[in-house]
Amino acid sequence: MSRLVAACAALALLAACGSEKSEPSPLGAAVGTLAKATVSRVAARRAGGEAKAPAPPTRADVEKYGIPILRAVIPTRGADALVTITDQKGPVVTWSTTDGTTFSLQNGVLIQTRGLGPDLMSARVPSVGQLMRDGGTHQRVYYFLGQDDSSTRRTYDCTVDVKGRESITIFERAHSVTRVTEECQRPQGTVTNEYWIEGSSIRKSRQWASGMTGYIDFERVVD
Amino acid sequence: MLSSPRLSALLVLSTALAGAPALAEMTKSLNLNGTTGLIDMPSGDAQEDARFTFSTALVGPITRATISFQITERLSGSFRFQTWRDWNTLFPSDGKKFEDRSFDLRYQILKEGTYVPALTIGLQDFTGDGTFASEYLAATKTFGDRLKVTAGLGWGRMGSYGGMGELFGDRPPLSEEDAGNPNTDQWFRGEAAPFAGVEYKITDQWTFKAEYSSDDYTLEDETRGLIERDSPFNFGFEYQRGPNARYGLYSLYGSEIAFAFHLILDPKTRAAGGVMGAAPVAVKARPARAADPDAYDGGWVTQADAGPLLRKNLAKRLAVDGIVIENLAYTASTVQIRIRSGRIDAGSQAIGRTARALSHVMPASVETFEIVPVVNGIGASKVTIRRSDLEQLEYAADNASLLRQRVTITDAGRVPANAVGDDGLYPKFRWSLKPALKVSEPLKGDVGLRLSASYDIRPGLVLSGAVYKRMFGNVDRTGEPSSSPLPHVRTDSSRYSKFGDPALEQLTLAWFSRPAEDVYSRVTFGYLERMHAGVSGEVLWKPVDSRLALGVEVNYTKQRDTDGGLGFDEYDYDIVTGHLSAYYDFGNGFLGQLDVGKYLAGDVGATVSVDRVFANGWRVGAFATVTDAPSDTLGDGGFDKGIRFSIPLTWAIGNETRQSFGATLRPGTGDGGARVDVDGRLYESIREYHTQSLDPDWGRVWR
Repeated sequence: MSRLVAACAALALLAACGSEKSEPSPLGAAVGTLAKATVSRVAARRAGGEAKAPAPPTRADVEKYGIPILRAVIPTRGADALVTITDQKGPVVTWSTTDGTTFSLQNGVLIQTRGLGPDLMSARVPSVGQLMRDGGTHQRVYYFLGQDDSSTRRTYDCTVDVKGRESITIFERAHSVTRVTEECQRPQGTVTNEYWIEGSSIRKSRQWASGMTGYIDFERVVD
Repeated sequence: MLSSPRLSALLVLSTALAGAPALAEMTKSLNLNGTTGLIDMPSGDAQEDARFTFSTALVGPITRATISFQITERLSGSFRFQTWRDWNTLFPSDGKKFEDRSFDLRYQILKEGTYVPALTIGLQDFTGDGTFASEYLAATKTFGDRLKVTAGLGWGRMGSYGGMGELFGDRPPLSEEDAGNPNTDQWFRGEAAPFAGVEYKITDQWTFKAEYSSDDYTLEDETRGLIERDSPFNFGFEYQRGPNARYGLYSLYGSEIAFAFHLILDPKTRAAGGVMGAAPVAVKARPARAADPDAYDGGWVTQADAGPLLRKNLAKRLAVDGIVIENLAYTASTVQIRIRSGRIDAGSQAIGRTARALSHVMPASVETFEIVPVVNGIGASKVTIRRSDLEQLEYAADNASLLRQRVTITDAGRVPANAVGDDGLYPKFRWSLKPALKVSEPLKGDVGLRLSASYDIRPGLVLSGAVYKRMFGNVDRTGEPSSSPLPHVRTDSSRYSKFGDPALEQLTLAWFSRPAEDVYSRVTFGYLERMHAGVSGEVLWKPVDSRLALGVEVNYTKQRDTDGGLGFDEYDYDIVTGHLSAYYDFGNGFLGQLDVGKYLAGDVGATVSVDRVFANGWRVGAFATVTDAPSDTLGDGGFDKGIRFSIPLTWAIGNETRQSFGATLRPGTGDGGARVDVDGRLYESIREYHTQSLDPDWGRVWR
């Protein structure tokens, strides 16, 4: 038995040699290297974490590239990345890490992820206008690859709750924002997205992506 | 079996994320026999649909290794390999070990309701020589969140202790020639005895089980003196470690200690949590026609260097996804690209990636993308996508269904006359040196190294070979010649294993072609497999959107020497074999196949097989062959039968690869009902790119 187990493990893990190679495991890549993303690594999440955590980048650091930058944090994975734009079509902007994880946001609302594994394949989402109307209701639909990679959806009925004015700080810069929650319900459960809206654009948000990924925190660091 | 540090790390993560309430539903656990149940007795429960489990149990001097599969929500099947050690305790002249293989089937008649218990009827070892044969009815009811009670009635072995009389008459003895056939005469006959038990969930991980067993262990106790059966009561504890592993430790029959380990796999859910692999590049949007009409000018087609340049740029983009271009043809408005996908495990995703690459490379005037996946040099189907649909739907909600409605999947057709052709850009020579695992039954197999290489002379004409060298393992290598009265077309396997190491497994020239619409053909010449060489020809009719396919195969083969070389001196045996085959896709992943024809030993008969295939590449199936060969020459009993499974590595560890791990397991291999094992059979090669296979995971077109 132990021999067979060893053999299976060998089969799975041994890099076979040949003219056609398979990819190195993107699972490791997604979990591990999302952190060492485009520009530089952001501060270690846990205070008092690893002794050699690199110094957190400053606003000067992130602005010296002169390009728009979004910060994406996935608490369930301990992933924290600064990502840059790779595609822009009308209201949809796709942000990417260097190792091929992308987040597509429509006016700042998450509609797709790729490269995470349990990805959000597409979504029907509210506009920023809808998110600013206190008490407003709308339907939200998420599409995933579910059991055995078949397309599945989750449909929610959502209510907007405008919480009021707040001040938030992103990389040393203060922003005056309106905090909004979008509470979405279906019989099997609830999803609550949060937005910090500056003027008519989303400055910061906490948005649900998928069952296994959970929530992602986004911050527009550099416009 | 396929765990890795990464996998376990992820499983830990997934349990943490699920954030399930402390008291989840009680597990439908397995017993020492690898089937759903208590300790040694079955229960009325069934596993979740499609659950695939591998169980190992040590019961004193007995080892039981069982593979079980929940075929449908109610029906499950098991294959068990059992070894009794110290078999010669009372009979010193007998062998030290005794081995037995058995099949079980069980069907859940009632699902558990508020008042109704789950009720299952089961047949254990229903085709063997009766060593482990039992039939049972078991009912299980859950009380609250922690307690389950089971009561049942058993026949055969399970009716051997505490019997309450014969309900359906005498249990006739098995005659020698019945062994291996379904033992219908015995089912539910003879003494019936009740059994019962409880399961109590202490925590989410720990479960206590106790049972009253109706198995008297007559064979082990009275006949062979292996086990002292002092009591009908068994009890023990089970520990669930994550969703994939469960351990059990028990006190059995007042005298023995038993241990069980269960590996529990769910083919429907990727261990990695989702389809891994990097994000695709975004679709490139063309400028609006009104804004830049010049971009849409088709004049570029007349440029002599356009073809090679486009092809080079496409090849560069597709290489990222392990896709190579077999051919490229274009007009000002349409492009047809023929691709070979070597790494991505879903046809739809390979098509999506190709379409994205085309959107970057093809001039704006090209509106129609025709993507032809090529397998073994022949087009499997043609997927036609409008470029504007691709542009429009990229970020739309439910883009997968919307795109599918607008895409057509048709016969691949011929290579267009204006094709750029083979200009040597794709790799013609491929080779690999890989560890290879050959499993012959649970807990028996060989690990070795396989060196394989192939050379594409031109698309569809392939020269390929493979050499295998065993490293270690425990398959039979005694080199004893078989005593089968039929020609030894399969039963000299022990000789091939012993003398042919290393062995030239295969050296063939294969020609694949598309003689007409919906028709595929193959001719393979050379050393087809380890034991036979010759020529094999096949024609298959399979319309792209048809559930039905029909095929015919004819082979002329000579039996090879056992030394794995090129000679034919040892056996003076050659034969013409052939089959008519019908394939049917029943939907929901169930594939059926019927082959009628002449088999290697000259016997005539038919094979029925049913497989459950999953979009992610998992496959579990069973087959049975009946021929006119004398019954004791076919496998263990009257007909050849077995199960097979295949587990894609990408499912387990997330790598983007098309490799898989699998095995075909038989209770016994005979010379009857054997077919030539030739590579590249048409149906399996092309099926992946036909409608029935592209649709279930079509969503991956946007992945």
